Amino acid sequence: MQGCLRRLLRAPPPRALLSRALSSSPPPGGGSGVAVKQVTRGNLAEALEELRGRVREATFVGLDLEMSGVTSAPWRDTFELDRDDVRYLKLRDSAERFAALQLGVCPFRWDPAKSAFVAYPHNFFIFPRKELSDCSSHEFLCQTTSIDFLAKYQFDFNTCFREGISYLSRAQEEEALQKLNFFHQDRPFSSSATSEGDGDMPLKRTADILFTERMKMNFKVWRDVIISQPDSHLSGNIKCTAGQFQTAFFKMRPAVILNGFSSHQLQLIQQVLRKNFRDLVYVCTFGEDDTSEKRVVYSDTDEDKILLMKDVHEDLLKSREARVKSAIGIRHVIDLLSSERKLIVGHSCFLDIAQVYSKFVGPLPSSIKEFALSIHKIFPHIADTRHLMNVNQAVQKLMKHKSKSLSSAFSLLCPSSHSYAEKPSSLSPVRIEVGGDETTSSCFVSGAKHEAGYDAYMTGCVFAQLCAYLDVKFEQLSPQDNLATNNKLQKHINLLSPSWNSGTVLDLSSGQERPDPGYMRRYPAAVYDNIVLIWGFMSKVRPKEIKDCICKVFGSGSIKTVFSIDSTAALVQFKKQKTVNEFLDLKALLEKTDSAISILHPLSTILEGGQTRAVKYDTYRDICSSSELKYLFADQAEAFCATSKNQLQENVDHSLISGVHQTVLTSVNKGDGTKSGSMNEDDAAILASSIS
Amino acid sequence: MAAPRAAAASAKQVTRRNFAESVRELGAHLESCDYVTVAAQKTGAPTGWRRALPVDTAETVYLKAKLAAESFQPLQIAVCPFRLRDSSPSTLVAYPYNFHLFPRDELQLGMPSYSFSCQSSYLSTMANDGFDFNMCIYDGISYLSRVQESFARQKIFTTRLRPLLPSQNTSVADSVFKSRIMSRITHWRKGYAEPSKKDDDSLVGSLSRLILGGESYGSRPSMSIDVCSDHQVQLVLQAVNHISDDLVPLVVPDKAGAARAVCVIFTSSKEDKNLLLMDIHKSEEEQNLKFRGFREVIDLLSSSQKPIISYNCLNDLTMMHSKFVAPLPPNMHEFMCSLKMVFSNVVDISHLWRQIGPLRKAKNIQAALSYLQRQYFVPMEIKIPQQDVTSSVTKNEQNVLRITKLFAKLSNLLKISPECQLQSGEQCAAVEEYCNIFYPSCMVEDSDDVDFANEPDTAKTVSTDNIIFLWGFREKSAKELKSYLPGLHQVFSEDFEVKLLDRTCSALIFRNSDTAMQLLEEISLESSSLNSFFSEGLKAAGFEVYRKACRLGLWDSDLAEALEGVSSEIAASTLSECNSSPIYWNSSLMLDLKEYLEC
Repeated sequence: MQGCLRRLLRAPPPRALLSRALSSSPPPGGGSGVAVKQVTRGNLAEALEELRGRVREATFVGLDLEMSGVTSAPWRDTFELDRDDVRYLKLRDSAERFAALQLGVCPFRWDPAKSAFVAYPHNFFIFPRKELSDCSSHEFLCQTTSIDFLAKYQFDFNTCFREGISYLSRAQEEEALQKLNFFHQDRPFSSSATSEGDGDMPLKRTADILFTERMKMNFKVWRDVIISQPDSHLSGNIKCTAGQFQTAFFKMRPAVILNGFSSHQLQLIQQVLRKNFRDLVYVCTFGEDDTSEKRVVYSDTDEDKILLMKDVHEDLLKSREARVKSAIGIRHVIDLLSSERKLIVGHSCFLDIAQVYSKFVGPLPSSIKEFALSIHKIFPHIADTRHLMNVNQAVQKLMKHKSKSLSSAFSLLCPSSHSYAEKPSSLSPVRIEVGGDETTSSCFVSGAKHEAGYDAYMTGCVFAQLCAYLDVKFEQLSPQDNLATNNKLQKHINLLSPSWNSGTVLDLSSGQERPDPGYMRRYPAAVYDNIVLIWGFMSKVRPKEIKDCICKVFGSGSIKTVFSIDSTAALVQFKKQKTVNEFLDLKALLEKTDSAISILHPLSTILEGGQTRAVKYDTYRDICSSSELKYLFADQAEAFCATSKNQLQENVDHSLISGVHQTVLTSVNKGDGTKSGSMNEDDAAILASSIS
Repeated sequence: MAAPRAAAASAKQVTRRNFAESVRELGAHLESCDYVTVAAQKTGAPTGWRRALPVDTAETVYLKAKLAAESFQPLQIAVCPFRLRDSSPSTLVAYPYNFHLFPRDELQLGMPSYSFSCQSSYLSTMANDGFDFNMCIYDGISYLSRVQESFARQKIFTTRLRPLLPSQNTSVADSVFKSRIMSRITHWRKGYAEPSKKDDDSLVGSLSRLILGGESYGSRPSMSIDVCSDHQVQLVLQAVNHISDDLVPLVVPDKAGAARAVCVIFTSSKEDKNLLLMDIHKSEEEQNLKFRGFREVIDLLSSSQKPIISYNCLNDLTMMHSKFVAPLPPNMHEFMCSLKMVFSNVVDISHLWRQIGPLRKAKNIQAALSYLQRQYFVPMEIKIPQQDVTSSVTKNEQNVLRITKLFAKLSNLLKISPECQLQSGEQCAAVEEYCNIFYPSCMVEDSDDVDFANEPDTAKTVSTDNIIFLWGFREKSAKELKSYLPGLHQVFSEDFEVKLLDRTCSALIFRNSDTAMQLLEEISLESSSLNSFFSEGLKAAGFEVYRKACRLGLWDSDLAEALEGVSSEIAASTLSECNSSPIYWNSSLMLDLKEYLEC
């Protein structure tokens, strides 16, 4: 996708850029003329079969995702100043919270006869429907601007929510199967097949008593007829008074189907059977569309009864297993890509890959290194076109001062099919055709920008052209050759940039993150030990004022940068690590004293209000890792502190102890000696507000 | 069971395309009606232990409603003004509207909502019911809450007409300024007003306009006069007023909202001027739509002072408060005070039906309606004068009409009358008597199941002191627990009830609060009599731990995990301090909001 959207949303200031991009974009709806196969749950099986062959023949596969959002709060944007682990936590947060709505897969096959690539773009609609009833309910987040953005490009939400394909991740599938086995071993003759409650319901209401008696009568009549005239059941001529009984056979035994009873009545029926008829069994089975069917089955002996129950139980298990298998849904596509070990191509695809992992593999690992290594096992070859654009001088020159978004790269690098004559560069472009002979069929739709299927196609096209710039000769590629091991390309693949402003690339094969030489930094590299995170200051305080007042105390050169996370928090980077502790100590001391000194002290600008907190950078990481979701950073930090109070307390105490010998202490030692720091007071304040 | 007849009707569908006219219509209908029903369709509802549970107190139930209100997004809000006439048969005249909402960031200020939560099973059901998501997202009406609007007004300022104030005494400097402005405007106006100039070379004309500072406002010529105070604005307005009727002055604000300039627009005729004024009015309306949007409807409802009828009131009204008024306050009391300022009378339909004895156990609207249908004879003629035949009936408008119909029948039975006048000698009740008492929708699944709840009639008051939260029992059913626990400790030989709260945790309700206290004490002392209890991996805690988990908002985890986290922190000493309060066991208790307002 979302190359463009993601970049826009993260680039500061996002709003202006977004609106500019939108206003300059062509009117939506206009198709590109590229037929993209639309896949929903109706045609998944058939599309999957076809895709299997296409992927097997493919040289590489373009991949793209559309998501319901990118960042869950403004402060969760990735900043250039973020440390690697913080950045990963932010990306992990967004991959986990937002839903994948479309998956674009586009296999590219090299056709030596035509000397061209043939592309087969597929657009899969995804919706995390709850397919297995025992799965805990699933919630996902939508970012308003992202949803609005998709709407501007005519994203079809109705198709997505109604017809989207669901999925189980590998971890979820394993869990579901385990549960099944447990269920199987634990209760060989499960209660779910027979009655649900063993306890007797007292019959209080007259209606219940009458109903019970009537059922007793009806079942007695039916059973007596079966016993006396075993053939009569076949002809179905049992006269049941209310006509509520429909006779049938169930596993070769006479049965009646219970239709149109309320759940309370069904319970009463079970009670009647339990009490009065040893040879009638209540059986509940589940049909294909998950509707339950209740029957009463005649079973003449106890052995037969056990046999019947075993049978019913096995059927239940089988159907549940089948349900688990079919619930895998869209993950089959990912499993297919993984098992074919093809080169996967994405544009600025770190978040896409993280989404794929979180939705289709399992919970994202806790560190970026683990993530890289696990992804490498699943997709051994991944190429990022955004990274590839930076490795070739000619491309860099061509793209200079141009947007690095997918659509911009596509329009610069890929000539439209009818204008091969007018080349954008001296290089002859790689020819690409769109495959699909059934273009007339209804599931093909002309692709449009920001539809995953078309974006996957554009990514693949850009990749093919970039390969040409890297002097990769497709003509010399035999079908057996793996493009990923081509010596011109090999050194550029499996390198992903975690975010557009990280300035680093992650080597998936080793899990190491290293600086990207081609990246132009806006800020000097940060020294994280020298950083203090401040929040809770008055809302009128601006970063400039924070800087000024700290400089007044520690000297004009003491601060390197003040970076504002959002309007409620800032990261202050000192020149020297020593100053970090000095600052924290001074803050603690000023808060302890209630004298004029603390009011007149320059730091009172940020301490005013008494809610200001300052912590070291590691606490910032911890706050980012918490699962809370607050719009403002200060609220998030407070929520984090409320749940993990002890941890933060330690942090502050430690700084207090280390600061005892400081000279500042002597001037302001009027503190009344109570150990009540700001923490305890805050504690009280929080409690008070929630009690009132 | 037959579907209620009213549900076949279709409400007027309102999107941003027909919003302005619909609001005008709605305003008129509100005037003529006695009550208004409100129902909302959201992107999700709380699940697991985040739902209102029978162990919740007023405090925790509010915290849960607050969580739901803040995370989910309303996609449709149906509003249905209606009036009841006591003719025979009584008539119900209803004007249903179904507003489609989407929190689009119209002003690009990151408002009204940065993100929202969706529950996939909820959306699936909506999709199966034929909900049109595209209509909502493409054309839904946006909104800002009152607090957000005042924030936005501080950030974005628009040009507007400003009234001419009666002139105060003017100083010499003022009159100099005024006459200078007058001559400038007169001179500039001449270029357009005097037709003789038409013969001029167009180049000269445009040059002179350039020199005179001519600009254009749309297709009309205009000039801009810089000002540096509101006083100067008034002077310019006076000057314009003196010169001619064909000039329209607009005040242009700077970034901080102060007047920066006055834009004087020249109109060629009386009709043209009216046209311009209409244009300005229209663009102001568009601006208002951006600043208020759907909230205009809420403001209308609020100012009409008509009683609001709703179902699931606590959830819907906390949602409306947080989206359209202000962020939700931290506790119930403040919420009630704040809500009262907006809607003074809110009737929870489930409170109303509980006034009729046999209906007390109805689980939902559908059950109550079908019971009434069967057991009571309440003839009623339903009129829906304006019907939109082009669209199919959505779930939401079906809901709003059901509530309306149910209210009509109940008010007939309870003899509630809007004017509370005596009719045919019968005593009437005022609807106010039933207002502002909310039922948390405990355990009530929002289904169409018409069964009545299978609960014992006897309502009893249970205090938080009688509750023990128990976890660590690994997927046992309530029944299994009930038979398994007595083997572990002698306190479990006493009478207690078990209710599963989510997959991981259950509540034990003891008849005797001393028993519960005793158990908690032994647990905190790790008494050896509990060895088998602990070795089974069981954990237990009192209500205070649960209250704290709700207060801290540990909603993301299973209840067991949340309680585990909190209980390790709370020392045994705090247990004695905790104040006990009644819970909603068996839903026998209700929230009487008047109590919250009095304290």
